[in-house]
Amino acid sequence: MSLKPPEEDSMSEQMEMDELAYSSRMVNWAPLGKLIFVMAVLIIGLLADSLVVPLITFAIGFALMAYSTNLKIPLILALAIGEAILIMIIGSGMISIMGDHSQPALWEAQFLWFDIHMTEQSFNNAWQIFVRAVAGVTVMLSFACSTPIPHLAHAFKSLHCPNEITELIVLIYRYAFLLLERFLVMLDAAQCRLGYNGTMTAMRSYGGAMAGTFIFSMELAEKSEAALACRNYQGYFPIYHPPKNMSIMWVVVSVGLAVALYFVGKYTEGWINMAEIMAPLFGW
Amino acid sequence: MDCVFELKDVVFAYQQKAEPILNGFSLEIERGVRTSILGCNGAGKTTFFNTLTGVNKPQSGEVLFNGNPVEYTKKGLMDLRSNVAVVLQNPDEQIFCSLVEEDIAFGPLNIGLDREEVERRVDRALKDVRLIGLNRRPLQQLSGGQRKRVAIAGALAMQPDILIMDEPTAGLDPQAAVEVMELAEKMSLRGVTVLISTHDIDLAYKWAETTNVFRNGAVAFRGNGDEFYSDIDNVYSCGLLAPSIFTMNKDVSAIKGMDPAPYPHNMCEITAKFGGSKKSGKLYLVPAEVENAVSKYEEIVKDAKDSTVGIYGSEVRFELQDKDIEFMFEGLDYCFTQAVKGKDTILIYDSIYAPTIQRQIDRLKEFGFDADTEVVG
Repeated sequence: MSLKPPEEDSMSEQMEMDELAYSSRMVNWAPLGKLIFVMAVLIIGLLADSLVVPLITFAIGFALMAYSTNLKIPLILALAIGEAILIMIIGSGMISIMGDHSQPALWEAQFLWFDIHMTEQSFNNAWQIFVRAVAGVTVMLSFACSTPIPHLAHAFKSLHCPNEITELIVLIYRYAFLLLERFLVMLDAAQCRLGYNGTMTAMRSYGGAMAGTFIFSMELAEKSEAALACRNYQGYFPIYHPPKNMSIMWVVVSVGLAVALYFVGKYTEGWINMAEIMAPLFGW
Repeated sequence: MDCVFELKDVVFAYQQKAEPILNGFSLEIERGVRTSILGCNGAGKTTFFNTLTGVNKPQSGEVLFNGNPVEYTKKGLMDLRSNVAVVLQNPDEQIFCSLVEEDIAFGPLNIGLDREEVERRVDRALKDVRLIGLNRRPLQQLSGGQRKRVAIAGALAMQPDILIMDEPTAGLDPQAAVEVMELAEKMSLRGVTVLISTHDIDLAYKWAETTNVFRNGAVAFRGNGDEFYSDIDNVYSCGLLAPSIFTMNKDVSAIKGMDPAPYPHNMCEITAKFGGSKKSGKLYLVPAEVENAVSKYEEIVKDAKDSTVGIYGSEVRFELQDKDIEFMFEGLDYCFTQAVKGKDTILIYDSIYAPTIQRQIDRLKEFGFDADTEVVG
């Protein structure tokens, strides 16, 4: 067994996300407004006991993402989303089979030393968590796909977040690409020198590349400090074209939607019972 | 002598008890003179540049800027750095913002210029480095050459009196390198004092008026490049080699029993010295602007049908990129070489370079060659 070297364009996930954000149809919407809207929808989606609310949240997130990207999601991002959903399915599956033993089981089995005990409650809980998670990811993705990091930093700045934090966000964003680029070059160089020939060698190569990237980051920091001084850095990053400021409408819409979803959640609680819906399928 | 910088007995070490990198260093940088800084790795070039920009404060000695000692206060350094712009070898070390125009505006915004002035400077810098249309592009989506141009644009947007370029052509493809050197020439013509540090001795020899050679943190030579390269022992002891055109001139002059002086610095001059035609080819000089480059090209090509065409300057080159042009890069040298060989040729150039063209005509006279030129339009 040996570790495989990274694919040639393994950095493109970040690049694709970045490109997507800059080319989004929502890029010029107020970042703070988008953030408040997304957070409001997300929190209500997570708090509501009804399955209807996260489903609505998912629909909102999906609609926004579709509008933002014009339904042109790069394959690599689609795969990443698929991977996240797969993890959620596994997690939800685990929750569904770890039901309370005092309740009657829909399905019971023994696998090695593990007791499988699926109850109606655990099955419904698992669905609730799964839909909430998918809805949360979709809503957050709609935000991430339409808001470049510098815009987000600007939104934080307008919330009076300390300069040090917003500057850090911008610098981490800028240097993450550079350091990743460097890291991948080092891995390629290791590959050229048979650095993946055997597991131990591959691990050493990865370790060496990580250490090398760290040292490079220190050197880069030193040189960049001098360059910042040469460019008259005054302790903050000025913004040339600030994104739009948030209007009061964003708050009204966000709060209004959150309240509406809250009442929808109250009204529809218990409407959807996944165990009942699935019963004919599994013969429960 | 009108100096922008005077360094007097400057000693600088990165740590108090460490060996000094600049060791009793004295140097004068003349205003408006194209100056090259040469030296092997570790000779102290980058430390010297950092001393000029106030990043390094000397332990002893004095740095004078425009005749006044550099003040290492916030205001003093801000004044200094508003006039002295640096382009580092690796553009990624000096690009901090995410978008092209944001980064170009970084310096001007830091010195508190108003938005209109910043916009004007950003537009001009984008035009100078031919990045118009890419102004809203994230930097990580640009190639290495484009990032270098962003770094240069960031320096130009400061409208400095002194432009320091550390290895400006390192890592660039030959065409991008030619464009960067044309840009350095353009800045020089606008009255900016341009300092270039490079390991490319051919480039430095061709471009610079004054050559400064560093060795072990001190100035080993200052003056004319021809004089420096004539002392080959000194060249080797500084860890350098003589430029190929200098060596070629020396060897061919020895074979032909000629004096190596005057020293040719480019292809047309060496051709004029050793193998030029007795009669110059006609050289049509066409100064052009962005607006009229295409019409001037079409007109001159119709009038002078069998002439080869060369380009000098990135603006004209951009406008004529789709045309059938023999010498899209290095047009100045190629066109003059053609004229020296007795062939008719057309040189279309950004009008700002007129003094550079005239300088070449005058230089060729030193080699006994009187170019038959006609300025068109």
